[in-house]
Amino acid sequence: MLFNSLQYLVFLPTVFLLFWLLPHRARVPLLLVASYVFYMTWRPIYGLLILGLTVANYFLVNRIEKSQDKKKVWVGVTVAVNLVTLGVFKYLNFGLDTIKDGLALAGVNWHEPHLHILLPLGISFFVFEFIHYAVEVYRGKPVVKSIFDFALFASFFPTQIAGPIKRYQDFIPQLSISAKFKWEYVDEGMQMILMGLGKKVLIADNLAMVVQAGFSHPENFSSLDLWLITYAFAFQIFFDFAGYTDIARGSAMLFGYKVPINFNLPYLAANVSDFWNRWHISLSTWLRDYLFIPIGGSRCGKWLNYRNLFLTMALGGLWHGAAMHYLAWGAYQGALLILHKEYSKGLEKVGVASKLLSSKLYHVVSIGITFHIVCLGWVLFRADDLNIAGKILLKLAQAPAALAHFNSAQLAVLQIRDPIIFPSLVLIVPILMISQVVVNWLNDKKFYQSPPWAVQVAVMVILMCVLTIFSPDSSPKFIYFQF
Amino acid sequence: MVTATSAVESRLVQASSASRTIQASPLAIAQSISTKRHPFASNLAKSRFFAATVLFISVSAAWGCLRLGALSPSDFPFYTWTACAIEDFLSNEQARPQIDFVGSSLVLAPLGGVDADFLNAPVDAPHHHRSLFFENAFAKLTGESVTTFNFALPGEMPSDAYLITKFLMKGEKRPNVIVYGVGPRDFLDNLLPSPSATDPYSLLSRFGDVNDRIALISPDWQQRMNYELGRLLYPYGQKVDLSTSFSRVVTATLAKLLPPTNGGSPMSVRRIILPEYRNFEVAKNECLFTPTTAANRPAFSDNIAEYRKRYKSLKWDTYLTQMRFMTDILNIARERKTHVVIVAMPITQINRSLLSDLAWDVYKKSIKVVALAKGASFIDMEASGKFQLSDFGDTVHLHSGGGAKLLDLLAERLVKDQAVMTALNKPSRTDDHSTTLAGLKGTIQ
Repeated sequence: MLFNSLQYLVFLPTVFLLFWLLPHRARVPLLLVASYVFYMTWRPIYGLLILGLTVANYFLVNRIEKSQDKKKVWVGVTVAVNLVTLGVFKYLNFGLDTIKDGLALAGVNWHEPHLHILLPLGISFFVFEFIHYAVEVYRGKPVVKSIFDFALFASFFPTQIAGPIKRYQDFIPQLSISAKFKWEYVDEGMQMILMGLGKKVLIADNLAMVVQAGFSHPENFSSLDLWLITYAFAFQIFFDFAGYTDIARGSAMLFGYKVPINFNLPYLAANVSDFWNRWHISLSTWLRDYLFIPIGGSRCGKWLNYRNLFLTMALGGLWHGAAMHYLAWGAYQGALLILHKEYSKGLEKVGVASKLLSSKLYHVVSIGITFHIVCLGWVLFRADDLNIAGKILLKLAQAPAALAHFNSAQLAVLQIRDPIIFPSLVLIVPILMISQVVVNWLNDKKFYQSPPWAVQVAVMVILMCVLTIFSPDSSPKFIYFQF
Repeated sequence: MVTATSAVESRLVQASSASRTIQASPLAIAQSISTKRHPFASNLAKSRFFAATVLFISVSAAWGCLRLGALSPSDFPFYTWTACAIEDFLSNEQARPQIDFVGSSLVLAPLGGVDADFLNAPVDAPHHHRSLFFENAFAKLTGESVTTFNFALPGEMPSDAYLITKFLMKGEKRPNVIVYGVGPRDFLDNLLPSPSATDPYSLLSRFGDVNDRIALISPDWQQRMNYELGRLLYPYGQKVDLSTSFSRVVTATLAKLLPPTNGGSPMSVRRIILPEYRNFEVAKNECLFTPTTAANRPAFSDNIAEYRKRYKSLKWDTYLTQMRFMTDILNIARERKTHVVIVAMPITQINRSLLSDLAWDVYKKSIKVVALAKGASFIDMEASGKFQLSDFGDTVHLHSGGGAKLLDLLAERLVKDQAVMTALNKPSRTDDHSTTLAGLKGTIQ
């Protein structure tokens, strides 16, 4: 079931009404049933997968807690069960293909068995939540007593398919609270849902058309077109995923539950490290806590630290999908983080005036450079394979020459007048860039802490009108659903 | 944001202190709602979402009264086969047709192909809506002229033909005779999700109210809900018009702001870079019927795999729904004193063999019985024995040579049909073929 579907328009209010009408003791079972219904509308059989993993993790983690001397073994078994499941469903065919390609390079012709495995929705997210739980209990945190609470933690429908990746210490205590209905939950929740739908339907889905055209047929576009299209993808993926996250958080808020944020104006990051503190925060903190730190983190020598950083980001890239271009994107991010560390140390060594580093100009230039570096990474992420990514990157590199002899006729997007998103791109991309600055300024002014009542109502009415007009007949999937 | 967040945080504090509030039962909540001074009611009035919802409904209602942004039904966002046909049909330049042809590509392909041969010139398929060959054949037989309009469309179902008949073939555009060519696919295509899933439906439903048949048109609850929401909320129901109006304003504004194009982007480029965008759209001279002869006709195309999918698991609901629409067409036509001729179109034995004997028998018998029951004429071209495999371009579509044979035969049969000739106000050339079969009055040829 998609958040932007009519099914959800019926499902969410139904669950919402039942939740607040039922006594507290029935609410967790209700949400659990609702979450499984939500999941099984896609493919009923995969309900068994999430159920099986939930039961296995529940009992295995209990063993971790109870075991005196074999905690390490049990946590290893638990993590292995989760990773093997993820591996089979997500990486088996990719692994077989990679072996086949490797053998082909050695001159061996091997016909690998291609298994028709359909990737279960959300598996990457709930498996990470299970691993987090197992590791936290291993580190001494308490287990979840109720299997129903635990099952809901893993399957909670607002965050089931594409996160945010929850922490059980934050989520489980909320389930035990016997709360009374408050209109604030509805106001906040619906505001987030409407904002999320707006980001998805009005921005991301429109940009998707240009991005699809540019990344599948780069030969039809000039270097400057491809830069515009790359910017468009940067905003498409941001608004798609941030929109999803808003709907997820808003849906959870309707039940009075809080789930973590995922974004904090990532394109205003002044360096790559800062970017990862602002982009997909629940994933980057998970990678830090359950991959980077366990393999050594930064409490080791410089090269080991860099190795750990690179490995973490490369695996983080592969987490997004079983394909070489995701791995390359992760490796690119890892390399950028290492370069940034070296750059920062270099600045310290040469003693660049701290006044310059803290100047507004330096900050603005840093944001611009970081944004472009991130955009280059998005090419690796979005392209169907490394070959296409290479072609696009090569064409992007020709931009300085194209700019030197700039002529509006170079822009193919201006020649395509239908759909209008193509020519509109030259206006929309700068507007979206400026919007980030405006939102940041409003944040600084604490506007969002107490916006006027009338303004909030007006924004909601406008969103309702615009969404009813521009809602698509079919519901395009969210990008992160595929991960 | 802060209010709800702090509300959640206060709940967390509440949890850590293990305090428990008494749970409100449904009865208690119901009582609280009924108590005027209860916080629920007073908070409801302060609710931003509640206020926004009330305001949105009011705006929708006012918008609906003013009908701002609504376009005329024939002002289409872009051109499809259906849009071209409707525009041509409603055009003032088009004389009132005496005979309208209706059907799917089984009718469209031979009629268009024959005219390309007849004119010995390419014919722009979506914009060619006469059957010149038939008009000529009819004139040869009768010495009288007749005007035709070919409203056959690719994939047209009886549900689409029903909307064409009901909303368009009336008043000044009422034909004397409707010739409806049908094939088993029109009733038994399991790839059709619902009658509302077709391009003809999306455009034809703009011309009138389909509420009386909505249970058949949108049997799925989501489609039905979509439809009902459209009736309730003006911006949702008119979203195609409103988004088209918006798009036109933006396009006009951009045209002033942006440098002129170097001739625009041909649709062929867009088809490559955006294959999913407006996949029903057709441009002028994009789909042509070109003149052929027996010598240069394209080779037989095996499309059996496509039909295997269509007939893989027959959905009898679809069959019953489409049969109901055919009955409706006949009822409407009879009310308007338009005579209908149902033609069972020929198909190849290869295609026929994909259907079970049961499905085939049900199809053949039903169309005959329904036609007779409603006083229509029935011509069984399929059982005529006049068509061989060599007359077909693929397993179901007659090529232009087969089409010529079909139209010659059809002209002959229509001329001999007294009911048809009477409807056309022309003298009959033969005896009355009206018959009674099991109490049903109709004409069998």
